[in-house]
Formats: sequence, C-alpha cells, structure tokens
Amino acid sequence: MDATLIGAWVATGLTLCILSFLYKDNPLFKLAEHLYVGVSVGYTIVKAYDTVLVHLIFKPIVENGEWVLLVPVMIGSLMLTRYVPKASWLSRYAFAFIVGVGSGLAIPRTISSFILKQIEDTVRPLLMLGPGGGVTFSWDLHNPASSLNVIIILVGVTSVLFYFFFSVEHTGPGRVVARTGVMFLMISFGAAFGYTVMARMSLLIGRLTDLIEFSDASYGRPTVWLALVTIGTLIFLSRRAQGEPPEER
Amino acid sequence: MTFAERMLKIDRRIIFVVIGLCTLLPLLYPVGLPIKISSEVRGVYDYIEQMPERSVFVLSIDFDPASKPELYPQAVAILRHAFRKNLRVVTMTLWVSGTGMADQLVTQVAQEMGKERGKDYTFLGWSPGGTAVIINLGQDLYNTFPSDYGGKPTKGQPVLEGVQSLRDVNYLVSLGAGNPGVEAWYVFGKDKYKFELGGGCTGVIAPGLYPLLRSGQINGLIGGLRGAAEYEILIGQKGRAVAGMDAQSATHLAIIVLVGLCNIFYFSMRRQARRQGERS
Repeated sequence: MDATLIGAWVATGLTLCILSFLYKDNPLFKLAEHLYVGVSVGYTIVKAYDTVLVHLIFKPIVENGEWVLLVPVMIGSLMLTRYVPKASWLSRYAFAFIVGVGSGLAIPRTISSFILKQIEDTVRPLLMLGPGGGVTFSWDLHNPASSLNVIIILVGVTSVLFYFFFSVEHTGPGRVVARTGVMFLMISFGAAFGYTVMARMSLLIGRLTDLIEFSDASYGRPTVWLALVTIGTLIFLSRRAQGEPPEER
Repeated sequence: MTFAERMLKIDRRIIFVVIGLCTLLPLLYPVGLPIKISSEVRGVYDYIEQMPERSVFVLSIDFDPASKPELYPQAVAILRHAFRKNLRVVTMTLWVSGTGMADQLVTQVAQEMGKERGKDYTFLGWSPGGTAVIINLGQDLYNTFPSDYGGKPTKGQPVLEGVQSLRDVNYLVSLGAGNPGVEAWYVFGKDKYKFELGGGCTGVIAPGLYPLLRSGQINGLIGGLRGAAEYEILIGQKGRAVAGMDAQSATHLAIIVLVGLCNIFYFSMRRQARRQGERS
C-alpha cells in the first residue's frame, strides 16, 4: 500500500475526530488529542536525540576527536542532578551559566531592538521640511512617517500611557485623555481579534481543503467513509449514554 | 420566550454549521473575489525581485504542522519566486517539530522548479538552541551546521560558496508562527549582522509585528493566509491560498452578520425590559 494513501486515511480520520469536538467532547476527540501530543513529543525526542546526541556530540568526539565538546556536555549533564536530591545543588552551576549567558545576550539586544528603535520611530518630528526649505504637512496615511500618522501616534501613545497612570484621578480633562486612550486600546484589541479570527478561519479552511482533496476516488474516498464512521460512532455513543443510569454525585 | 431571547440562546452548534457551510461552499464553488495587494507583502516581493541572480537568500521555516494552513502556502510562493529568480536558496528551521515538513516542502518545490540540491539550494535542517543558533550563524555557518539535513557536509557545497556567516546573506525571510521567529531573527540577527530581513507570520501574531514593519526593522510582512494569497497573485501562480480567500471572505461576512444580529437582539431585549419596567 502506498504511503501517501495511508497518510491520507490517517490525516482524514484524525481531522474528523478532532472536528467531532464541535458536537461535544467524546472518546474520538480524546483519542486524536492524545495521539497528537504523543506523536509530537515522540518526534521531538527522536529528532533531538539524532541531531544533538548523535550528530553534534557523539560523532564529532568519536570520529573527529573534538574532546573539548565534553565541557558543554558536562555542564549540561549537571542539570540532571536535579533528580538526585543530595547532588541537586550541582545543577545551580548549569542554571547559573544558562541564565547568565541568556541574560547577557538578550538584555542589550532587546533594549536596542524593542525599546530604542521603537522610541526612535515614535518620536518623529511633527512637521516635515520641504525640498525648498519650507515646512510641509503630509496627509498620506500609507506613509508611516507622514505628519498625519505622526500626530495619530503622538495622541495614541500619550493617551494610552496616561490611561495607565493610576496615581492621578481620571476626572475633568484627564478623563477625556484617558477615554481617548481607551478608544485607542479598543481599536488595537479589535485589530488583534480580527487577525485572530482570520487565523482560526484559515486553519479551518486548511483542514476542509484537505478533506475535499481526500474525498477523491484516487485516495479511496476516505473523507466519505470516515465521516460516516465518525457520525455512526457519535450516534452510538450518544445512544449508549442515554441508556446508562445518571452518575451519582 | 421572545424571538430575540431564543436567538440569543441559540445552540452554538448551529453557528458552527453556519460557519462550516460558509467555509465549505466557497471552496467547492469558488467565486473569485478580487485580492488587493498590500504594501507590506509587496515589500518582500519587490526585494526578491530586484536581487541579482545567484544572490544568497535564506528562508527560515520557523513553524510546525499546526500552522501549516497559513504558512505553508507562503513558503511555497516565496520558494517558487526565489527559484525563478535563480537565487541561491539556503533553508533551515528553528522549530524541531517542523523539520520533516520543512524538508518535504523545500524538496517538493525545488523538484517542481528543476533545482539541484547542494548546487541551487540546501536544507540545513534544525539545530538546538533557538536564538543561540542565530548568533552562531552570525559567527560561523559551518560550525552551526556542519552537515545539511541529508548528512552531507555543508563545507564545499556550491550553493554556499563565499558564504561564511549571516553577514554574507543578501536577504533573509523568516516564516514564523511564534518564538523563535521573525522577532528573534531581528533581535539576534539583523540588528547585529546587518542583513535585510523580511517576515511572514500567522494571523495571530501579525498585529504584534506591525511596529517592526513601520519602524523599518523588517522590510515586508506576509500576514496569514491572506498574505500568502497576495504573494501568489504577485508571482502569478495561484495556489491554495488564493483558493481559500473566497471562503475567508464568506466566513468573515457570516461573523459580521452574526455579531450585528446579536447586537440588534441584545438592544431590542434591553429596550423591551426598560418598557416593561416603565409599565410596572
């Protein structure tokens, strides 16, 4: 039997099992869920073993004699001492090394990339100098550096920051500024939610596209047959649940 | 129970069926709604378009099968474009769970475009460390990936001729579904090693990456399935993403209608309750 054919049947079956959750929680969904978790963890372990232990540690040491690799191996192995209570203090050396290196690498780069660069982009001049030396005002919304966008960013950033400034009571003019900040936040959350909806719908489209593809006769129509099996199983499980006495609490 | 009350307490499964039908029907019977090209997607396309032949292009496939519907079409479209422009394509992944999928993707598109492994493209595979891999690549590519995914030594491969580190890369696009992804490539890669960077991402994380785009930290952004559809239109090879756009529009319309109806019913019930309060 062709591997593609087996893959098509497995993919279709698991997709239908997962989608059956939309009806209600059921054993088919649980089976697919557990398989997903198990397979992804298994795959990750095997890949990590092959790439790290075999190709990056074992082979370079044994075949190329790169004994210096034993130093990081030893530091990494210290982490495993967490499982031996008497020796668990040794793991602190490994963690200290990782936290130190991680912080050292991440902190300056993050400050430079996310704080300084973003501030630089926020504090652009409100008006632009024209070619002849005069001051111009650009209305182009598509250009991030246009005067109009700079003013919108100025109002947005100031009002949102003011909204999160809780030491001052939001009354009088302060209330107007805070409410403006809330409006900006709502627009931002709305855009984020819109994108999230789009993403979820894209995932559904992806699954349905596969189901349509696998309904073809060249695959043996797994979508049709497995949909019938799934629906039949759900009906059977539902009937059986009706026949059983209610659980005592 | 009034009609409005009944509608507000409608079984959620009816809504699932409505959304399911709105997705399925346009996939079976496409309408072909127009797709407008956004400036952020054009940013990536234009940069690849102006690159001279045999320039070094790195595609980091930083996602796994869970994000396949959105990012796979993006990867296919970008690879087709890069191969058509005869660029030297170097691919890799920072996500261990996406390694097999990435290899299959690259091999499939390369075969379709008649490209040779090792000469026109390579797939370096996965290396442990996440962001540390990016830093290592900036220092020495051959130390980070001594061999490619197939076990062939990276040193001596014609596709990597003259490439020692990320500083020798002309353009890098990260298709990310989270961390490490586009942000990590900027923070630990572009900011330090000064190569041009473009991004592709799932719809969920796209709003978070717009600040990077607007400040010029990345030169383009392909967001979700819609971004993939735009890229397919730009390269003139309609694929899965374009096919899904009708369904995307139909489901969005259905959601807008449902949200609108719910608000109408909610406000009508509130007005009804207020009237009853006034009478009593």
